[in-house]
Amino acid sequence: MADSSSNLKSEAIIDLMKQHFSTDAGKKLTEKIGLVYQFQIAPKKIGINEVTYTVDLKKGEVTKGAYEGGKPDATFSFTDDDFVKVALGKMNPQIAFMRGAMKIKGSLSAAQKFTPDIFPKPSKM
Amino acid sequence: MAMRDLITGATSCPDPSASSSSQNPLGSLANALLGSSSKNQERLKEIPTSTSTPSASQFYSQPHTQLPGSEFDKPFLDANSQGSEFLNRFRSAGAGGFDETWDEIQGDGNQLRLYDGRGQLPPQLHQPTLDGTPQRVLSTFLHSFLDSSRGGIPFHPAPLPVLGLSEGDKQCIRDRSSIMARHLFADKSEEFIHAQVNALLSSLDIDSNVRGKGPMPERHRELEDYWNESQGNLIQGAHASDGWITEFSQNRERYDNPDAWANSFEQQHGANGWASEFEHSQLSSVDQMRGMNMSNIAAMEQTRMLANTLAQNADPKFQNSKFLQFVSKMSRGELIIDDNQVKESALPAPGDWATEYQQQYNHGDAWAGEFLNNKAYPRAGPELWANEFATERQQNGAADDQWVDEFSKLHVNDWAEEFGQQIGEGAFGEGSSDNWAQAYDEFLNEQVAAKQRSDSSRGVYVFSDLNPYVGHPNPLKEGQDLFRKGLLSEAVLALEAEVLKNPENSEGWRLLGIAHAENDDDQQAIAAMMRAQEADPTNLEVLLALGVSHTNELEQNAALKYLFGWLRNHPKYGTIAPPEMSDSLYYADVARLFNEAAVISPDDADVHIVLGVLYNLSREYDKAIAAFEQALKLKPQDYSLWNKLGATQANSVQSADAIAAYQQALDLKPNYVRAWANMGISYANQGMYDESIRYYVRALAMNPKAENAWQYLRISLSCASRNDMLEACDSRNLDLLQKEFPLQ
Repeated sequence: MADSSSNLKSEAIIDLMKQHFSTDAGKKLTEKIGLVYQFQIAPKKIGINEVTYTVDLKKGEVTKGAYEGGKPDATFSFTDDDFVKVALGKMNPQIAFMRGAMKIKGSLSAAQKFTPDIFPKPSKM
Repeated sequence: MAMRDLITGATSCPDPSASSSSQNPLGSLANALLGSSSKNQERLKEIPTSTSTPSASQFYSQPHTQLPGSEFDKPFLDANSQGSEFLNRFRSAGAGGFDETWDEIQGDGNQLRLYDGRGQLPPQLHQPTLDGTPQRVLSTFLHSFLDSSRGGIPFHPAPLPVLGLSEGDKQCIRDRSSIMARHLFADKSEEFIHAQVNALLSSLDIDSNVRGKGPMPERHRELEDYWNESQGNLIQGAHASDGWITEFSQNRERYDNPDAWANSFEQQHGANGWASEFEHSQLSSVDQMRGMNMSNIAAMEQTRMLANTLAQNADPKFQNSKFLQFVSKMSRGELIIDDNQVKESALPAPGDWATEYQQQYNHGDAWAGEFLNNKAYPRAGPELWANEFATERQQNGAADDQWVDEFSKLHVNDWAEEFGQQIGEGAFGEGSSDNWAQAYDEFLNEQVAAKQRSDSSRGVYVFSDLNPYVGHPNPLKEGQDLFRKGLLSEAVLALEAEVLKNPENSEGWRLLGIAHAENDDDQQAIAAMMRAQEADPTNLEVLLALGVSHTNELEQNAALKYLFGWLRNHPKYGTIAPPEMSDSLYYADVARLFNEAAVISPDDADVHIVLGVLYNLSREYDKAIAAFEQALKLKPQDYSLWNKLGATQANSVQSADAIAAYQQALDLKPNYVRAWANMGISYANQGMYDESIRYYVRALAMNPKAENAWQYLRISLSCASRNDMLEACDSRNLDLLQKEFPLQ
C-alpha cells in the first residue's frame, strides 16, 4: 500500500503505467498518442470520492492529482471496477461509454485514442 | 439568385470533396447531422404522404393499424400492445407538416453528404425540384439555407411561391432556424446569424419578431419550453404517465432525477461527438447484421434496441431537449470543433450498408439510412421504424412487453444518449469504426451473457455442462492424476465431479482451485477456494491460494485478510499474530509480522512466498523479487514459484528477466497455462505483439476458458494490425488461430 488511504484497484494499473513509461514500449506510446488524459476514479459511484490521476502521454508521466499543465485533452470518469475492466480489455471503452460506465469531458477525438492497449497488463502470480 | 445553384452547392461548395473536411467543419457537422443515407430520397418518395399531403393532420390521422409508408405494408400486429401504444404517443407528439419538410431537408442533406464523401454526384442531384408541393419547395429552400453555411456566405432571400404555412409551422421554422443558424455559424458574429436567419424568414414571409401570438399550438409551447430548458432554466416536470414511459422514467431516476439526463448529456458529451458516434452505431448495427454469428437473439435484441430508441423519440421532450442542449451549447461557443475532428471518414457509404442489409434481410430496405434520418431528427418518419419493429416482432414472436423489460435493464437511457450523441460528426478513422462495430456486437452479446457472468463474478462456482466424469467411481483420484499429468482442463472436470459428489471435500475444492489458477481463471479459482475454505477454514494452502488470487485480482483488502489468516493459522507463527488484529488489518502491520516470521525461520520457503505476495500487494516489487528468489533457493522445483517471480518481475517492468523465469516454470510444467499467458503479457507490454499473440494462442489452446487471455489476445491482434483475425478471436476459432500463429 504505497498509499493506504486509497485501496483502488485502478491505482495498481496506474502505477504499472508509471513504470511502463520507463520502457521503450512506454516511450513509443507517447509518440503514438501525445495527449494528456485525466482519470477520475471513484470507489463506488461516479462523482463521489473521486481520486484524480493524470496520465500524461505527451511527456510519459503519471501523477496523482489534476493536470497542472493546463487543460487535459480528455477527462474520464470511472468507477474503480469499470476502470479496471476497461484498462484490462474486459470491457471496451465504447461499451463503457454506452453503458454510462465511462464519462468523458473534453475532446472526443482525443478520447477516441483511449484504448485498452495503452495500459500495460498486470501479470498474474 | 439561382436557387438551383444554391442547392447543388455550386456557389457554396466549390470543392465538394474538401468541403466537409477542412474548409468548414461546422458545415460538415451539420451535414452529417442531417444524416447520411443515400436511400433516403427514394424512401421519401415511397412515402405517399410525405410529398403529396399538404397537411400533416391528415397524415397522422390515418388508422393506426395501417402504418403509412411502409415497404412491407403489413398491418401492425396488435394495436393494443405497448408497441402500438408508444407509436400512438409518438404520433401525437410529432404532428405537423414541418416535420415532413424537415425530413425532406435531411433527404437532400444525405445526398449531398454522399456527394461529399464519395466524389460521385447522384444524377438526380443536378435536378433539384423547385416547384411541386409546398413541402418540397420549402425543403429545397431550407436546404439552401443550410448550404450557405458551408461557404459562410450571406444567405440571399429568394422569392418563393406562397406556401401556406400555418402559424405553428412558421414558429417552428423560426425557432429551429435560429437554433440551427447559431449552430452552423458558430464562428460568425451574432449579427451575421441574425442576418442569415432574417433573410431566411423574410423569404418565407415569417415575422422574425413575433413570438407567442395568439393561442399557440401545443407542440409549439413545448418547443418554447425546450428552448428555455436549453438555456439553463430547467423545468421540472413529470410528463411521463403510462406504460413504458413510466418504466423509462424509473430507469432515468436511477440517474439522479428525471431531468438529469439533459444535464448529464451536457456533462458527458461535452464535445462535438454525438454526431459521429451515432454514425458509428449505425455502422455497428449494420455490422451486426452482417455478422456471421448473428443469432435470432441478437436480432431480437437489435430490434429491441431500435424500438427503445424509437421509444425514446416518442417523448418529444427528450428529442428536442437533447438536440437543443447540444445546439445551445454550440451556440454559446462551449463546443469547439477542430479541423481534425471533423474530417471525411473512410466509412462505407451508407447506401452500401443499406444494400447489404437488404440482401440479408430481404424485408426492409435501407433501415440504416432511415434510422440515421429518424434519429437525427427524431420526429421524422417514425412509422417506418414502427413497421420494422412490428415485422421483427412478428417473426420472433417476442412477448410484447419484453422489450420494455429489456429497456429498463439496459440502461437505455444512457445508451440512447450515447446514441444521440453520435449523430452528425461523421468522422473517425477506419479502425475506430471497426471498434464501434465490435463494441456494439459485444454490447449485444454482453446482454445475452450477462446473467451467467454475474453469477461467476459473485464468487459462485460455475460448473461445466456435460461432465463425463460424473458417475466416475473415484473422481478425486482421477483428478489428481490428471492434474499431475498437467491436463488441467480434464483435471477440472474430474474434480468438479468429485465436489459434486462430495461437496464438503476440502481437498477436492482446493485442487480444483489450484487447477483453475494454473489454468489462468482466477474467478473460478477464487470460487473454488472459497468452498475449500468453508470446508476447511484453516487450511494454509487454501489461505495462501486465496491471498494470491485476490492479489491477482487487485483486491487488496481481501488478499490481506487471507494472508493474515495464513499467519494466524500457522502452527509455528500463529502466536505472533494477535487475534484482535484481524478486525482492522493494515498492510504495514501484516508485513511486519511476516518479517518477524522470516526471522524466526529463515529457511521456511512458505514465509518468503507469502512475503513476496505481500510485497506484490504493496507494489514493492524489488522486495517481492528478493523474497521469491529467497524462496526459490529453498524450493527450486516449484514451478508456481517461478511464475510468481516472473509475474513480479514483469510487473516491475523487468520483462526480459520475467520471460526467463516463466521459461523455468514452463520447463517444469509445460502445460502451465498461466505462465504461457504471462509470457504473452510480457511480450505485449514490450510492444512485441506478434510474439504475444503466439503465446496467448498457445495458452488458449490449452484452456479455451481463459477469459483474460482472450481479451488480451484481442488487444494484441489489433495492435499488431491483424484485424483480419479478430473475427477468429471473437468466434473463438482456435484452429484457425493456431494455424495462423504457431509457436516455434
